[in-house]
Amino acid sequence: MKLKKLFIVLMLLVLILAACSNNNSSSDAAEEEDLDNLTDSGLPIVEEPIELDIFAGKAPATADDWNDVLIWNEYEEMTNINVNWDMVPHEGLSEKRNLALASGDLPDAFHSALIPVPDIFKYGQQGTFIPLNDLIEEHAPNLKSILEEYPEVEKAITFPDGNIYSFPLIYDPEFSALRISEGPWIREDWLEALNMDVPETTDEFYEYLKAVKEGNPSGDESIEEIPFGAQSINGLLTYLKGSFGIGNKGKGHRFIDLDPDGETVRFYPTTENYKEMIEYVHKLYDEGLIEENIFSISPEQFYANAGEGVYGSTYNHSPAELFPGEHRDSFTGGLTLEGPHGDKAFTGISFPSSTTGFVITSQNENPAATARWMDYFYSDEGAELFFMGIEGETFEKTEDGEYEYVEEIRDNPDGLTLDQAVAQYLTWPGGQYPGILMEDYFKGAEGTESSKEAAEKLEPDFIEEVWPSFTYTEEENNTMTSVGADIEKYVTEMTDQFISGQTPLSEWDTYVETLENMGLEQYMEIQQDAYERYLSN
Amino acid sequence: MAKNPARAISMNSRLDRFKKNVLLNWRLYVFLLPAILYFTIFHYIPMYGVQIAFKDFYATEGITGSPWVGFDHFSRFFDSYYFWRLIKNTIILSLYQLILFPLPIIFALMLNELKNGPFKKWSQTLTYAPHFMSVVVIVGMLVAFLDPITGIINHVITSLGGSSISFLTSPEWFRHIFVWSGQWQTLGWGTIIYLAALSGVNPELHEAAKIDGASRIQRILHINIPAILPTIVVLFILNIGSFMAIGFEKVLLMQNNLNAETSDIIQTFVYQTGLLEGQYSFAAAIGLFDSVINLTLLVIVNQIARKTSENSLW
Repeated sequence: MKLKKLFIVLMLLVLILAACSNNNSSSDAAEEEDLDNLTDSGLPIVEEPIELDIFAGKAPATADDWNDVLIWNEYEEMTNINVNWDMVPHEGLSEKRNLALASGDLPDAFHSALIPVPDIFKYGQQGTFIPLNDLIEEHAPNLKSILEEYPEVEKAITFPDGNIYSFPLIYDPEFSALRISEGPWIREDWLEALNMDVPETTDEFYEYLKAVKEGNPSGDESIEEIPFGAQSINGLLTYLKGSFGIGNKGKGHRFIDLDPDGETVRFYPTTENYKEMIEYVHKLYDEGLIEENIFSISPEQFYANAGEGVYGSTYNHSPAELFPGEHRDSFTGGLTLEGPHGDKAFTGISFPSSTTGFVITSQNENPAATARWMDYFYSDEGAELFFMGIEGETFEKTEDGEYEYVEEIRDNPDGLTLDQAVAQYLTWPGGQYPGILMEDYFKGAEGTESSKEAAEKLEPDFIEEVWPSFTYTEEENNTMTSVGADIEKYVTEMTDQFISGQTPLSEWDTYVETLENMGLEQYMEIQQDAYERYLSN
Repeated sequence: MAKNPARAISMNSRLDRFKKNVLLNWRLYVFLLPAILYFTIFHYIPMYGVQIAFKDFYATEGITGSPWVGFDHFSRFFDSYYFWRLIKNTIILSLYQLILFPLPIIFALMLNELKNGPFKKWSQTLTYAPHFMSVVVIVGMLVAFLDPITGIINHVITSLGGSSISFLTSPEWFRHIFVWSGQWQTLGWGTIIYLAALSGVNPELHEAAKIDGASRIQRILHINIPAILPTIVVLFILNIGSFMAIGFEKVLLMQNNLNAETSDIIQTFVYQTGLLEGQYSFAAAIGLFDSVINLTLLVIVNQIARKTSENSLW
């Protein structure tokens, strides 16, 4: 009897605990914001100082603690808003972010937190992130005017329910080096040694790789040249897609593009073009022209190899900025290759905005002030503050009106690289921030001369239109995360297997058939709907 | 209970005895308290969260407030293209590890035969040491040693006239590398319990056997092994209880697109969908499925052990 009672009491206890832990999530609605505290416009933003708790992703390249960095201390004085930064390193970012979102114990906003687009929509619909349309209309004049100037950006950041949930990162669309970010690079001195020109067709590219392997262009017997090496095989595929007539809507879409008929969305990993490209890459791999362990190489090992100067070509950010060792300056930007059927386009471009910048949560008591706080960075002065810092302290203007970091940053006495030196004062290194990127103010790897030169070479062959990431309704998203995720995983795995020769290309038909059985039709219906919604947005 | 007074009395008297026992040995029960609290707070109470496996979990609604969806998440998992591959890989990998269960026993028996001296101490320390290395370091070492071009193993193979093998990207090698590197790491540590059990063997038995002319092998077979058999059975059952729970961090670190054919297991799948993609309900459903299998296996094996050897967990 008593044991039974004890059991019942225990069960009740468990239930009470369960009920308690549920309470805190029901009182999410923030109190009405005191708008009188806001100034009319400009800086400061509020009369009485307020505090914000912001969750921020910490990229390896950025400062450890943004609470101690010049820019944010300066901006606090300018705005009267004190931000408490909660820094979360990238290694555990998705886990920590998801746990914060699932626990209901939310910060006021997320900054640079790499939130995937479907998640932004999911939590937007659930009410965790608040819609920003009205806030932008009333309290974000700078972003508002940018969106009016570039309606395609507004289209891209608007979700199927008509709401905007995040402050985007916008690239100056003319700044091509940034929109490419990674590109093809060839060893210039080896071209000379081999008496060759920069390859312009896929055949010439093959000839070059072959010559690097056999011709010992380094002139050093102890160096075993690797004709092509990169952190993964994907870069090479991005480079080659345009030469085989696929991927015509940019690198944001790794599986779909626009069918040549101009109307329907095409799933290109089952096309003959894709097969031909895989065949070509398999040939390269099979003949040892691609680094053998490209499928399992770690970034550290890649950069260590790069430092020894063994790579004849790569697909990366500018080697002059990132490679260690003496050969970093020997690379020149590659050209767009013409494929076997005359296709020639460079597809590795991203849409000039991304949705993953800055979201405001439902627990934020000052959404209007937060919007104003963020909006400043879409202005010229804001971009200057964010990327260059403070005149006299971190940058100076040269005679011809260009911006330049001060000597201490450019040529650091302690031997720090530019990014490392900048990170002591500013927080842009590492990327993924919200705001606007303009060529004048941006001095990162993509803003350097070598990157710009390389981008200029590719620019004439840029695809005409780039699609942003599509947004899906909740129901569509359920399919995309189950059937869609399986399909994409299968394609990625099989692509690597075909290239490495682990699965022979004679299995191609089985591969296509498997994809169809996995629900490809359903997947494509959703993509088609999403595309049409994007068109009519 | 009123209908069966005899039973009620026996219940009551048993309870009384229990109370008396507690009063008498209350100090021992205080020692027990932290463990009970730990398991209640961290293992039993959180179980109410398992319900999200049958719900569509919304952070804003909380666990109890989210809508019920029944077995949707389970059927989605069973219908997934990768379902059979995940099950197959998980089971094969687990079985492979299980087959090597006798290794630490054999090693412990061997260590036990050594005289207490520097050699024994050294062998123990050397075999324990890898246990303290973190998984990341172990995988880093594997990557370095097994690299097709710069790795030492492939250097040996090529210098002996073979051609280099890309161990880390071939599905055929994944299981061997995973299991044997795991053995290397845990072998010494795994012997500790057995050595403790062996030290409890009465030396008189050995002396008597020696006088009777038993050889060393015979003494191991007929004295040492029977002496540690209960320990072996209990550890074996406990092992079965975590049959499907493979050390997933190591698998995840060793995984790439080329070996996914054999390295994709339930746990890495849960990690990817649950934590990285934030589909908590789906991940909870798979996790629950996993636990149910483990529990079933545990009960079955325990039952068999009880019937056949009189050694069991309960």
